[in-house]
Amino acid sequence: MNRSLGQFYPVASVLHALDPRAKIVATALLVFGLFLVDSAAGLVLVVAAVVALVAASRVPPITFLRSLRPVAFIVALTALFQVLFSREGETLFAWGILEIHEGGLRLGLFLGLRILLLVSAAALLTATTAPLALSDGLEDLLSPLKKIRFPAHEVAMMMTIALRFIPTLHEETQKITKAQAARGADFSEGGPLSRVRATIPILIPLTVGAFRRADDLAEAMESRGYQGGEGRTRYRELRFRPRDAIALAVTALVLAGAALL
Amino acid sequence: MRLELRDIRHVYSPRTPFEVEALRRVSLAVEPGEVLGILGGTGSGKSTLVQHMNLLLEPTSGDVLVDGANAATLKKSELRRRVGLVFQFPEAALFAPTVAEDVAFAPRRLGLDEGEIEDRVRQSLSLVGAEHLKTRSPFALSGGEQRRVAIAGVLAMGPEVLVLDEPTSALDPEARGDLLRLIRTLRQTGTSIVLVSHDTNEVVEVADRICVLDKGEIRAIGLPSEVFYMIPEFAPATVQTVSALSDIGYDAGSPVRFEETLRALKRLVEG
Amino acid sequence: MADPTSISCENLNYSYPGAPGPALSGVSFEAPPGEYVGVVGPNGSGKSTLLRLLNGLLVADSGMARIGGRDPKSEPFEVRRRVGMLFQNPENGLVAPFVEDDVAFGMENLGVPREEMQVRAREAIRAVGLSGYERREPHTLSGGEKQRVALAGLLALEPEILLLDEPTSMLDAAGRRDVMGRIGTLRGDRTILHVTHHLGELLDADRILVLNGGKLVADVSPERLVLDADLLAKNRLVLPPLSRLATGLGLAAARPRTPEELAREIQEIIRKRAAAR
Repeated sequence: MNRSLGQFYPVASVLHALDPRAKIVATALLVFGLFLVDSAAGLVLVVAAVVALVAASRVPPITFLRSLRPVAFIVALTALFQVLFSREGETLFAWGILEIHEGGLRLGLFLGLRILLLVSAAALLTATTAPLALSDGLEDLLSPLKKIRFPAHEVAMMMTIALRFIPTLHEETQKITKAQAARGADFSEGGPLSRVRATIPILIPLTVGAFRRADDLAEAMESRGYQGGEGRTRYRELRFRPRDAIALAVTALVLAGAALL
Repeated sequence: MRLELRDIRHVYSPRTPFEVEALRRVSLAVEPGEVLGILGGTGSGKSTLVQHMNLLLEPTSGDVLVDGANAATLKKSELRRRVGLVFQFPEAALFAPTVAEDVAFAPRRLGLDEGEIEDRVRQSLSLVGAEHLKTRSPFALSGGEQRRVAIAGVLAMGPEVLVLDEPTSALDPEARGDLLRLIRTLRQTGTSIVLVSHDTNEVVEVADRICVLDKGEIRAIGLPSEVFYMIPEFAPATVQTVSALSDIGYDAGSPVRFEETLRALKRLVEG
Repeated sequence: MADPTSISCENLNYSYPGAPGPALSGVSFEAPPGEYVGVVGPNGSGKSTLLRLLNGLLVADSGMARIGGRDPKSEPFEVRRRVGMLFQNPENGLVAPFVEDDVAFGMENLGVPREEMQVRAREAIRAVGLSGYERREPHTLSGGEKQRVALAGLLALEPEILLLDEPTSMLDAAGRRDVMGRIGTLRGDRTILHVTHHLGELLDADRILVLNGGKLVADVSPERLVLDADLLAKNRLVLPPLSRLATGLGLAAARPRTPEELAREIQEIIRKRAAAR
């Protein structure tokens, strides 16, 4: 398993060089802003913007599209739902109880496109931001919430550790699956219920193993002087530069423009 | 059963930037009733190799033959019953509420009746010296005990060939000794054993034949005395000492195991 | 003894909650500064428990321990500033997704300023022979490399005392060689307590503590230990084959040696015998 954590694509680009905090905020802006965009022209503008960003990220388009594959089904389903069941606008096609209205088509297209753009924004974020930078950025952004007792540091630390162990747990899962297969377990036979039951010999050892890992890791962290977030310094530097401010401003402008169109 | 790997080639992630040829044209046979030691370091391809023995991995090219017949034509469950594979750190796959139930997993998958299953569980636990752990939870056992239970779980299938991948990893000396004794016992019952290890000193004490794997290829395969004296850099301490003596002009023969080496050295010293 | 690099404990007792008997009872010993002390014994003898009591991961039921003059019971974090502990499982000691970030973890905890951290992290990575590995991810490393990363993380804190809990038991021969090679270079300035099943790693230790059933049954030099067949048998200790060949031939076993060196020693015996005739 040679691919990096999550979907991070390590290459040098304008987007990769941006401060993670700016990128997180920009993504958040995009996510919320999308729901204010109501016109076809506005959506086209956002699509154009996202395409430009993907180009700027120097992530190969195929790799990027592949990361969207998991949601393709949901997008299609959601859009289809709207198309088939919305009764808005004039009827374009009717056959028995099946009716397709203009409004439904529009809604379906818009909703589908919105979800796709949303996921694209998230995929862009994780593709251009190293996991550690992400959790550092998140910790920084959330730290004002420490005043109301929000465990910003702990959340970031959990993210870091989770990201660190994803490949390890993946390998562990494969190993356990093979060991059970060697004992005659078959994961592809039977109906849905027996397939679910067949995962028990994998899930249980994986979970128990994960708890054991957590114990070991806690011991190691404590031994290395970990006492929570107080008094910690940070190895990685996050520097907010003018270009990050510009990136944020551009994002806000594009979204404002799209919403007004 | 004679298990043969013929011209096995295995490439991981073919046609991607991560393509790697883990095995290049490996051919070997496991003769009935023998202990075959497979030695090699990290990256030698030994883990890839053993997973072909029960077709957990399929070769990119080449064949796996069981008594002359292509293993691919056998039912997977049948093949995996006859060739039992115990992975490194097998205790990571223990899952049942009691030891007995865990060991019963494989026999149950074989569709045996309850009485037969109980017999198998009892026999295999007895073989590994863990009958007293029958009703305990696998998760409450020590590492060495868990290891034994995991091995029993595979023995319960009654395999004709038992493949052990680094079975003594992280065990203390006493548990190691127990495991080597188990291997000798199993050999006496006619089970063939493939012992994969990086520890030459251990393997030499039980192996009938040795296969040395290096960078996906077989460097040497044959009797321990042949193989080790031919490539002393892969040899156990005993052979390396006798080899070193031979380099400075002293002939102590070609012993491989500890006792015979000590005897040979004593004879040499006593003149 | 207030010396920062010494370990001393007196009458340490500890029982795990719910366990039938004590894991450690009445253990007392002193390791003066700079000593390399091996700790051996069968499984369940209390070796790992001892180390965890020394760095405060466990709190003794009774008895006294002083690490560099500090009491791990009352000042565990002060103790951990000076004590580095290496664990058995190379995978589960690494916290961060990249090597250099993991090496910096301890320093971050201690509030070391950023510029200093960057220098010390690089230096520690170099000291374990992993220059160039800074941006590697842990799951791509071999067991030996993972342990060396963990070791670098400890060294970055410049500990005066090292506690090693079977650091090589999950490694293959090559990994063991790499890790023990690095640890060998750390001797001298530091006090090292090394728990292991591989007696071959302790042949040139200053002392070896033998634990069995929670009790300290012997505190001897390697030379004494290897010649004491009774002590070895009772505590289920096994010498490496070269050492056993040496003892079998009447040679001093407590020297780490190569097969070539053993061959020369054998040559010596043969020559002496020939001369004596």
